[in-house]
Amino acid sequence: MNNKQLDLVIPLDKGLPELLASFQNNFYVNVLPETVIHRIYYDTFDWLLYNNGAVLEVHEEGESRRIYWQANQQSSLRIQLGLSDVPQLASELPDSDFRRQLQSVISVRELTPRIKIKVKRLPLVMLDKHEKVVVRVNFDEHWYYPSKTRAGTVLGKRIAIKPVKGYQDEFGQVEAFFEPMRLREAQDNLIKLALLESGYSASEYSNKLNLILDPEMPAEQAMKQILLRLLEIMQQNTAGSIRGRDSEFMHDFRVSIRKTRSALTQITRVLPQGTIIRFNQFFSGLGKLTNPIRDGDVFLLKLESYQQCLKPSSQEHLKPLREYLVTSRATAQKKFVETLKTQEHRDQIKEWREYLENADPTEPPLENSGRPVYKLADELIWNMYQLALEEGNAITDETEAEALHELRKTCKKLRYLMEFFQSLYPARDIRELIRAMKGLQDNLGVFNDLHVHAGILKKFIKQSPDSRAKKACKQIVNELKRRQVKTRGKFAERYAAFSSGETQKEFRELFVDSRKG
Amino acid sequence: MKIIAIYNIKGGVGKTASAVNLSYLASLDGASTLLWDLDPQGAASYYYRIKAKIKGGGQKLVEGKRNLEEAIKGTDYENLDLLPADFSYRDMDFFVEMSKKPERRLNKMLEPLADEYDYVFLDCPPSISSASESIFAAADILLVPTIPTTLSLRTYKQIKKFFKEMDYDSMKILPFFAMVDLRKQLHRLIVDYPPSFMPTVLDSYIPYASEVERMGVNRAPVGDFAAHSRAAICYRSMWDEIKSHLFSHP
Repeated sequence: MNNKQLDLVIPLDKGLPELLASFQNNFYVNVLPETVIHRIYYDTFDWLLYNNGAVLEVHEEGESRRIYWQANQQSSLRIQLGLSDVPQLASELPDSDFRRQLQSVISVRELTPRIKIKVKRLPLVMLDKHEKVVVRVNFDEHWYYPSKTRAGTVLGKRIAIKPVKGYQDEFGQVEAFFEPMRLREAQDNLIKLALLESGYSASEYSNKLNLILDPEMPAEQAMKQILLRLLEIMQQNTAGSIRGRDSEFMHDFRVSIRKTRSALTQITRVLPQGTIIRFNQFFSGLGKLTNPIRDGDVFLLKLESYQQCLKPSSQEHLKPLREYLVTSRATAQKKFVETLKTQEHRDQIKEWREYLENADPTEPPLENSGRPVYKLADELIWNMYQLALEEGNAITDETEAEALHELRKTCKKLRYLMEFFQSLYPARDIRELIRAMKGLQDNLGVFNDLHVHAGILKKFIKQSPDSRAKKACKQIVNELKRRQVKTRGKFAERYAAFSSGETQKEFRELFVDSRKG
Repeated sequence: MKIIAIYNIKGGVGKTASAVNLSYLASLDGASTLLWDLDPQGAASYYYRIKAKIKGGGQKLVEGKRNLEEAIKGTDYENLDLLPADFSYRDMDFFVEMSKKPERRLNKMLEPLADEYDYVFLDCPPSISSASESIFAAADILLVPTIPTTLSLRTYKQIKKFFKEMDYDSMKILPFFAMVDLRKQLHRLIVDYPPSFMPTVLDSYIPYASEVERMGVNRAPVGDFAAHSRAAICYRSMWDEIKSHLFSHP
């Protein structure tokens, strides 16, 4: 049987030269020139590969550049990819096992180089009497460099003993030589060590608020914490949204803007009116800039499914539509990037952060600013639920679509309020209620997407000179109408669950009765 | 796993030198590579400092990974292993095996190694036999080193004819010119204007070079001891051409 490579850890205080000299005294070896290898680990912004035990790594040694992929920790199989560069998105790859495995982990997320490790390697080969290589031994020193300009730190020193097929006895001799030194076998992976050194945390990014609010804290303080956390999420997603390749950045960026605006307009009489008006205007403008980008992204993703209603030959007629969507998206993206790079935008963000970080309470206090946050949260959530019921109860089969859009917005506001104040309530109860709303929200969301997408198509039909493309788009518009009817048909059932006596009772218990006792 | 056979009915056309150098280049790319020395003369094994004879020879060749794997030896180069000549020739069973269902036999033997190797190079013996039929069926490409002379071109035609008769895909035959001496008018003429029956001939060719002969002295591929020589550069560009062919014609 063939032996596996053996990796041993050399304690940091043990000097390599002595070890090397002793090895050379015992075996007939050839010392090869020292080399430097740069190992660059790629991952998504939220460390999806690392968290799923997968590794995508580039080895640069001199002029050679190799890319390796390991699908998971269980599989010891590390394959070399026949690629000259790491793709930025899984969708850039041709259909292959690698693409499928990668896509199942990172979905639409973008890959960037995340961790760089430098390996200083002293390679030796052990020879037999015919000068044939029979064992390879590498003395490696692993360095982590946070950046080009900063000093590196040693992650560890290791000896890698690599068997050569057909020369098991010689491998055994080398193994036996190291045995009395009682060196530990290297189990820990280097990325983990480098992550520790870098100060990154692979679980650090979350698009959730994850705030723990003290129920008794003044509402103003709580609100500033919520808004600050939303700003943080927005800023974490800014660079990726500017690059514009990975649509998840833009998604999280937009959601945090929407939530910020929702907090500003729903949690009233806590912050001064002037501040609210000013920043609501700012975030509203920012949100509007991103609308055509997000709509384009979602529409392009959905187009695959929409075009199924066309004959394969007509599907080809959609080429001008795709070009139109890609161009419109690119124009919107350009405008967005230009705005974000202006000094005015930067100043606004800076001022917003400074305002939120200022712990001084508003003087004189506003009606709600000093109240314990839980009281305000109870009221806001309960009132919003009542409003949703009022709007929902008024909807019949004959009601205009506009009323459904209104209800969608109200449900979203309710959902956001529940997320802002989630930590004030028993985790399980509030999770259950959020889940109870999901069915209705999904239904209203799909209905709205179909409406927005039909609008995009109509706009295209109006301005396109291509008669075949127009005809295909009209067919899709009809298909979207059919789907809207179908979605609307399910509304009553979804709404019934949301407005049932039981759900109403649960809302009442949690947001009205719970603190009365 | 891609199987690349280097084959010609004629001997002395640079088959082994090509197999040794190309497999070395594949391993330099970081690809896990196996060179199977199928030629009883064992020259490829010799170049890689591996004794052609295996201990306990005479044991029957049995199907399965264990036997094949046990006979594989690592070369002096990382990622490059070799299956020595003796494994195939320690008794004639190899050929008996091959003659049973030649079109599937070699493929079946290599199947267990599919996960382990990216490339398998076959340095084939100069003949047409049931073993060669097995090779023709298994190979993804068949490289045919051809000296640019009338007689060699005739041999190449015979291979093509055989492929046609046996209904193998002749598009996988990639001839290339080897031992090219540009001082000779005939060589120049044929290399510059390859005959029309060689539509797949590679653009790269291997010159007649003393470095290739020195492989026997150094017992190493030219890329190792004369990396900047003309021969090494030619093998490099040929390997690039073969790869682009392999990956554009999956």
